[in-house]
Amino acid sequence: MHELVLFASVPSHQHHELLQQLAGLTAMQPRHRLERRLIFKAYRRPGLINTRGGTGRDVQGADIVRLNKMLNGGMFYTQVIGPISEADFHNTKPSSSADPDHPMSHDEAAGNSYDYDSQPWKLEFRDIPEAGTRSTITARLTASATLPRGDIVTPMDAWGYSFVTEYVVEGDVFIHNDIVIFLHRVLQYPSHGQEPHEPRRQLPSFRDMSPLERTGGYILQAAITVQDGSNQELMRTASQHLFGLREQLKSVVRLEHADRLSLDTRAK
Amino acid sequence: MAESFKLPLRPIIEKRDRPDSLPRDIAQINAQWGSFRELSEAGLREKIEADKRKDQWAEEDEADTRAAELDDSDRKEQLYKRRAEIIQYALQAHMEASFALDFVSLLLSKHNPRQAETSMSPFLKTAAPLGSLNADVVNPPPRPDSALRDIKSVSRGWRLQSFNNAANKLLNAGSRLDTEVAAETGYWNEVLAVKEKGWKVCRLPREGQALGVQYGFLEATPIFRDRGLAALRRGEEGRLVLDKGLIPRKAQGVRVRVKCRDRIIGCSEVCRPAQDAETIESRILQARDTLFEEELFHEVMREARILGSQGVTTRQNLVCVPVSEEQEILLDLVDWDQDHASAGTAISSEHNALADAISHSIRILLTYAHRQNLRRRTQYPPPLAPKRRPVPEYQILRPIMAYLQHKSHIQWLETFIGDLRRVLESAGIGCDFKATDFSSIGVLPPSHVVSKVEALVGVFLAPFESTFSGTLTTPQSSFQVRIRTSPVVPPFGTFYDISAHLPQFPDVQPPSRIGLQEEVAEAVTHFVMLDIASSISLRNTQSRDASGGPGQQATGQLAWEVAYPHHGELLAVDSGGQSKKMKVNLSREELTVETYSLIRADGFPNPVAARSSTLLTQTWKPGSEPQPSLADFVTRASQASA
Repeated sequence: MHELVLFASVPSHQHHELLQQLAGLTAMQPRHRLERRLIFKAYRRPGLINTRGGTGRDVQGADIVRLNKMLNGGMFYTQVIGPISEADFHNTKPSSSADPDHPMSHDEAAGNSYDYDSQPWKLEFRDIPEAGTRSTITARLTASATLPRGDIVTPMDAWGYSFVTEYVVEGDVFIHNDIVIFLHRVLQYPSHGQEPHEPRRQLPSFRDMSPLERTGGYILQAAITVQDGSNQELMRTASQHLFGLREQLKSVVRLEHADRLSLDTRAK
Repeated sequence: MAESFKLPLRPIIEKRDRPDSLPRDIAQINAQWGSFRELSEAGLREKIEADKRKDQWAEEDEADTRAAELDDSDRKEQLYKRRAEIIQYALQAHMEASFALDFVSLLLSKHNPRQAETSMSPFLKTAAPLGSLNADVVNPPPRPDSALRDIKSVSRGWRLQSFNNAANKLLNAGSRLDTEVAAETGYWNEVLAVKEKGWKVCRLPREGQALGVQYGFLEATPIFRDRGLAALRRGEEGRLVLDKGLIPRKAQGVRVRVKCRDRIIGCSEVCRPAQDAETIESRILQARDTLFEEELFHEVMREARILGSQGVTTRQNLVCVPVSEEQEILLDLVDWDQDHASAGTAISSEHNALADAISHSIRILLTYAHRQNLRRRTQYPPPLAPKRRPVPEYQILRPIMAYLQHKSHIQWLETFIGDLRRVLESAGIGCDFKATDFSSIGVLPPSHVVSKVEALVGVFLAPFESTFSGTLTTPQSSFQVRIRTSPVVPPFGTFYDISAHLPQFPDVQPPSRIGLQEEVAEAVTHFVMLDIASSISLRNTQSRDASGGPGQQATGQLAWEVAYPHHGELLAVDSGGQSKKMKVNLSREELTVETYSLIRADGFPNPVAARSSTLLTQTWKPGSEPQPSLADFVTRASQASA
């Protein structure tokens, strides 16, 4: 699959207004979304890559080339995305309204609401954007797959990925025909010195999450996915749809392509 | 304050000095009328009247009448002459005009040669070089005082007239603006009233200057969605006019009629009294309703076309849905005010209610489809592919057809089982039937994904299911009929699943999924018949057990054995070796039990030979006079031989 994307940055004071404008444009109410995003990095397990030995005769020459390419090709960072809800966060009520006698029991009850073991996950792979061809639009190869629930590090490790870090994305989704408009921002976990080496099993209070962009600005992302990236006509239609949206939103935000190298997912 | 402020626009006309005017007037009168003495008021009035009455074209008419007197040849000659004259004048005028043009062009060519050259005649161009003529201002000779005075007064008059004109124009413009402002105020008030009623008022996408009101349904098919926007234009005196473009003015609605054996027996309510049709609100409502109805009919038509295999037929403006063998539902799009009670109708309120229910249902189902559209639209779209997703036909007719079909099948089965029960009861056989209609429509499971209303409608889109169960005479035997009608997924139509639990015949099971009512009736009758036969034999066994002795009964009764259960035949051998046969015959109308005596054929272990004579016959029919029950009959038959 291919993905065509345009981005715009939205200052925080414009956020509310833009939400309303988008709701009017798409004739739908925004769908709030909270996602945990885990970053995994592919690594090469020493001694495991050995394509020459043990290949049966049934593996044809072209297959070997493909296999080689897959195993020895570039290494990428991938994202594992898990949808969560605000209730999953450790919600501590303001101290004035909380019961002062039983703070612990309250914490426990609230803390138990998030069940890490039943958290669904989805693997999202994004290639580095294509160079040159469509300089006015960001086009990249994508792939996604559903992963098992719960503890994700073990299977990912088995596939040769190691956990790097995680963050939370908060935003609203609009659907405009084939275009998915995602107005979101990145939230960081409160840092307590050492960054953990595996995904958090408990989520902190939502109010403790701090936006990565200090001013509280949002990113507007308009994306359209195409089944077959080699179909030029489809790609053209898709980009025309995106340009149409850019024209419609021209007076509000400036949608534009992103710097290619800033979206580089290759692991060096 | 602003209103009281008045700016005098008209010039103030000064009174002329009286003294010198009278001699002048007298001089004028003398010049005009000859003598002052001949002038009288009456004479002047006559003159004015005559001027008024005088026809402008009178002179020409006179000429015409004179011309008519001339004969043809003269007229023709005169015509040519006049024509030549006209042409001559025209040529002369043309010549003079071109001279003038040439002159001016030549004069201008001094200062503006390029432009002047274009209007010069070719002859002049060759004859005179460009810029060879110049003009200069010379001092005009001094004019006499009288001429100067004349010019002054004339220019004063012109100025006065111009001031007057300007004042008139300004005042006209002022009053026009007044009415305009009033009209505009009225228009905006009405627009605001429309907006306050909750309608969506917006700018027209193609016509940035005009306002529009959106009354359509966002989730409708694009052609109907785009029509749900009408311009709000300002009409006469600021009244709001709803400009719907090229849509027919007539309000229309979908009418549902119930037809039974070529006769219309029920009709839904289409006509809604148009109360105060003049308000803009009601016009918007009417436009919306018409749009909805048209879309409804469009979708019904679209769905009807794929239902051809199920007997649905379409005409240009009619959809005909068969429900049962004699009943049909007709749907058509009619004007609101059309006379619905057409000739040859025998409308009953019951069928009217049915038609009304159907017409409400199709509207609910269309709005449900709209909601589904919204749901689909706001989901993550699939990746763009060369093949577009087809828009599936809405489910409007199918659930209704399925429901009605299911209902008619239930009714049939109920009457059938009721008949059977009456037959059995008349023979003294107790049985118990229980029906659960529409068991598939139960309690809604609480769901936070789907709203309650949608879940409620969703139930009617699922297959319908009803069960009938009955216990039979023999202990532990029972049967169950499950009726299932699926509106959407094939196999379409209604199917019966019969399951029987007969301890005496554990292997007997009916075929699954029976579609025909006759087969169902046969199967159920067969089971009941099997049950009766086995109950007769069982009764013997019980009585024997009760008497305590094995073998031949102490009471001297015959022991009936079920010999050919599927034919309802029982056999018994009496003490003298004489065989007797009992045949049970059950149908929807009656139960007949006959006994025969059989002659044993030699060499055959079983008495299969032809019956000799009928010994006893008894028929039970519901409604006939009370007769001895089956049990009594069996006892009698058993004893008759003894």
